[in-house]
Amino acid sequence: MHWNGKDSAVFQAQKEYIDTAVIPLIVIDGSEHGFGFAASAADYTLSLANLIENQFKGRIVLFPSFSYTTGQDKQSLLEIWKEELLKADFKYIFFITSDREWSTMGDEHDVIWTPSVPLDSMDQKMRNSVLEDQLRQLIPIFAKKWAN
Amino acid sequence: MSNNKVSRRQFLSYTLTGVGGFMAAGMLMPMVRFAIDPVLQKSEGGDFVLTEKKIADITDVPERVDFTFEQVDAWYKSDITNAAWVYKEGDQIIALSPVCKHLGCTVNWEGDPAHKNQFFCPCHNGRYEKNGENVPKTPPLGPLDQFEIRENDGFLEIGKAIPNTLV
Ligand code: FES
Repeated sequence: MHWNGKDSAVFQAQKEYIDTAVIPLIVIDGSEHGFGFAASAADYTLSLANLIENQFKGRIVLFPSFSYTTGQDKQSLLEIWKEELLKADFKYIFFITSDREWSTMGDEHDVIWTPSVPLDSMDQKMRNSVLEDQLRQLIPIFAKKWAN
Repeated sequence: MSNNKVSRRQFLSYTLTGVGGFMAAGMLMPMVRFAIDPVLQKSEGGDFVLTEKKIADITDVPERVDFTFEQVDAWYKSDITNAAWVYKEGDQIIALSPVCKHLGCTVNWEGDPAHKNQFFCPCHNGRYEKNGENVPKTPPLGPLDQFEIRENDGFLEIGKAIPNTLV
């Protein structure tokens, strides 16, 4: 499900089945050398998030991305998000990002880190197959969380 | 004579209704048009999408075939990549929609090792037989949709989704 009016009605009627929130974490980097890379990483993360939504449409709600700048205390921002989402009865909350800084925080915060692949130069077909590949690797992560 | 005279009051009310009606029509028309337009629009180039799948390569094991088409969703156009599970049953080629009939996740062929020969939905463990029939006591309440298909010069073309004709 997407975070929109139509899907939210389904969500509220089917909370028992739609129990997982997915939030992309996007870093905004204004520095000269970081700008392009961060933008391309955002493109990748959001495309992947959309594919995850498509695969797990009936179980997850994909939220708009949570964007932050390099200097911000993202840890506490993350906690605030979690708190808010728990109010909506989500049982599982996943964050997905390709910002390297999260890679060390890992599991306990439910942050799925995937290295970004520059999609810009690829044609649609190549893009799809790269993203599909990534998706296949992510499916078990979701399945494992859901299983226990 | 006097009956035909239009009084000042009548004149005003006629003209105002006239203008008001005209304005209302002016506002309504585009709305009606917008509401109807996308429905009336036919997608160009027919309803079938050519895939890269050779008819000769299709086996009796369902295989995923992707196809991309331009979707006109209301008045937005976008490229949508969709997929179908395609296999051969005797001489007949079957293409099933991967969209789970429960809440819309994507199903996989033999996605659950515990259930061979079935489609599996990872979201709430929904299952379907090979012909798309939903397995009772799993969440889905109906069979997977089917796609219309046809052959084009040895390649598979996929059309629109229709209710399952096999179960
Ligand atoms: S969406 Fe497939 S079983 Fe619920």
